[in-house]
Amino acid sequence: MADFNVTTRGVGPVRVIDLKGYLDAHTAPELEQEFNKLIDHNDYKVVVNFDELKYISSAGLGVFMAYVETMRENKGDIKFSNMQDDVFNIFDLLGFPVLYEFFKDEKEAIEKFNQKEKS
Amino acid sequence: MNLPYSGLVSARKLEITILIGIIILVFKFIFPITENSFILILNEVLIFCALYFGVLYTSHFTQLKKNEPISLIINIGIFNAVLFFLSALSSSLFEVIPSLEVNVNFIYSAISLIIAYIFMAGVVVVLSAFKELYFIRLKTDTHKSYDAMIVFFILAFFAASLPDSNEDPNFIGLTFFVVSIILISINSFRVSWIAFLTKKQKTQLLIISIILGIIFILNAVSTFENSFIKQLLENFSPGLHSLLRLMMIYGSIYCGIIFFTSLFHLPTAEAFDKKVEEASSLKDLSRLITQVFDFNELADSITNLTTKVSNSDSAWLVTKEPGGLKLSSVSNIGYVDADEITKIFESEGILNQEEFVTFSRKQIRLKIKNDIRLFDFKALAISPLKVHNNTSGFLFAARKQNYGFDEDEKKSIEAFADYAAVALENAKLIEESIEKERLKSELKVAREIQYKILPSTTPNCDNLQVSALFIPAYEVGGDYYDFFRMNEDKLGFVIADVSGKGISSAFIMAEVKGVFETLAKLIDSPKELLVKANNILSESLDKKSFVTAVYGFVDKKKGQLSFARAGHMPVYICRNQKIEKLVPNGIGLGLDYGYSFEQNLKEQTVDLVDNDIIVLYTDGITEAKNIKMEEFGYNRFESIISSENFENVEELKSKIINKISSFTQGNSQHDDITLVLMKWVSNNKPSGVN
Repeated sequence: MADFNVTTRGVGPVRVIDLKGYLDAHTAPELEQEFNKLIDHNDYKVVVNFDELKYISSAGLGVFMAYVETMRENKGDIKFSNMQDDVFNIFDLLGFPVLYEFFKDEKEAIEKFNQKEKS
Repeated sequence: MNLPYSGLVSARKLEITILIGIIILVFKFIFPITENSFILILNEVLIFCALYFGVLYTSHFTQLKKNEPISLIINIGIFNAVLFFLSALSSSLFEVIPSLEVNVNFIYSAISLIIAYIFMAGVVVVLSAFKELYFIRLKTDTHKSYDAMIVFFILAFFAASLPDSNEDPNFIGLTFFVVSIILISINSFRVSWIAFLTKKQKTQLLIISIILGIIFILNAVSTFENSFIKQLLENFSPGLHSLLRLMMIYGSIYCGIIFFTSLFHLPTAEAFDKKVEEASSLKDLSRLITQVFDFNELADSITNLTTKVSNSDSAWLVTKEPGGLKLSSVSNIGYVDADEITKIFESEGILNQEEFVTFSRKQIRLKIKNDIRLFDFKALAISPLKVHNNTSGFLFAARKQNYGFDEDEKKSIEAFADYAAVALENAKLIEESIEKERLKSELKVAREIQYKILPSTTPNCDNLQVSALFIPAYEVGGDYYDFFRMNEDKLGFVIADVSGKGISSAFIMAEVKGVFETLAKLIDSPKELLVKANNILSESLDKKSFVTAVYGFVDKKKGQLSFARAGHMPVYICRNQKIEKLVPNGIGLGLDYGYSFEQNLKEQTVDLVDNDIIVLYTDGITEAKNIKMEEFGYNRFESIISSENFENVEELKSKIINKISSFTQGNSQHDDITLVLMKWVSNNKPSGVN
């Protein structure tokens, strides 16, 4: 089975989730767990770094849809960064860019959160 | 268990025996009494042959009883009693005839023949029964002493007819006779079968052996007395009389040994019975395990047998369930009581050790201090049910007498616990496989239903060739396509892909079908229709699920394609072997239920040119993977479509299928594959191929 790895690190008030490998119906629960942990700790500002993600299936996409509402209701958000072209293409076809913010670099996404904080 | 010489004669033993009997009859009438040694020898040979075949014949019947030694003994007893009765009766009725030569007449000959035949039959039956008894539970192939005994029987038989000279007794005959008795004594010790009788049978045997022994001794003694019978038999055949005497002695010795053996076995009989019962109950249990799939039924047998074998008063079995311990079966104890004891020991943490433990009276008292009402158990054993180091439950055995469990009782409780563990495991596996089987058959039904949801035929149009394909990755899938005849000119179509795979997506897919089918009748505009569909689906889709779709129609009158794309894969139009990817804006159904969806959805209209091929597909095609986990990809897919000018879309379809299957060869399908192809042929010329 294709492997998958998810780790979370804190950059100021923002949590960055690093995804690695293949995110599909089998591995999606791991990511769900990670999101549940964040919510338990009241961390609602999340940047997902896709730098090392090779593949995402519809079940993987569903994870973000399931949690974005909770994040937004608590003045947070899920933002995406460092996506490779083919992965972005999947998000793009689905129309995710209309609903989510995508950034070239993780820093920009974190910056965006911090700007909002100040304003 | 053949006698060494029994192979000589095949079937017809009874006939031969009777034939020889008749020859003897005739012979005896011709020579009622003789001193001629040749005739005497002939007489002996004839009688020996009759006895020999008689034994061979009766061996058939005695062999049938080789597992019931008691009934063999009883058979011997019956014949013996008859002989005893006969000799006693005839001795009291008739006097010894002083001089045979003078007094022999026809009546005497007739009576003597009948009596001699009866005695012959008696000797035959007793001999073959003894033979069978000797061979019971014989574990070695060597039975030399038995063979020797038979040989000496034969020798004694023939030696008996040697003439007694006036002064010297028949020394040779006597020698053989004595050796025979010695061999009889040796062979009589083969009574190991007694050990395997139950206590009841041993008691029976004890009594039978006393009675039988007495009859044998009386009979044996009577053969030495100068009686009518002795005279008659010796006249009939000295060998027969000698053999009869040997048989009676054999019987006396044998019965004596049986008597003492069973007497000495009686005290240990109970323990022996127990061992036998344990062995047979374990055998029963292992048979049950393979035959009975219902665990509760098995659990009942296990607790029942545990009480029997371990000398316990009660036994019960608890299994570990997700919700805690569950009482599966009780034997000789109330459910409530068993439950209560189990709970006490569970709360003491004793069950966590998952080891075999026993408790004495004091220890039990200590544990259940405040509940005297409950228990008068004075010894308790708990054995875990272990399979692969996994404890699946516990077997309890308790007794009311105040003595602990012996080592062998502990072992048998453990053995039963092991069996229970295996049975439990089996029952679970079987249940799982039944469940799996059930799901499988239900999935098969689901699959059939799903294929019915999809159009069974593609619409036939004058200037539009249509072909479609659906291959689910699992039994059921989440892809959907359909066609709607909106009016004379417009043919609607839809292709949709529900997120996820398998059953969950198949359910949504069925709903999606309902939504599109209904809306297609009401709404012409693809955009309006998709917006409406999004609203309807918002009520049933969960947060994680979404549906991508392309909905559109071909207006045959205008030669136009109109469609809108809700997050789905691009629509291809292949014109002159060049592919144009149409990706108008639009987000997937279920991603957003507000204005974003409507605002971002763009409708696109394309004027069709002759021979344009419209390609709709789901990502199952581009994401089809080979063993190296490489994707089929857009490039391969597009290059097939643009590779040639396909006259017929069926041709294109089969080419795509072939390419995908040769690419993914050996790798299982990851996602549902759906493909819809439409070719615009405006000038209405008949298609070239086929």
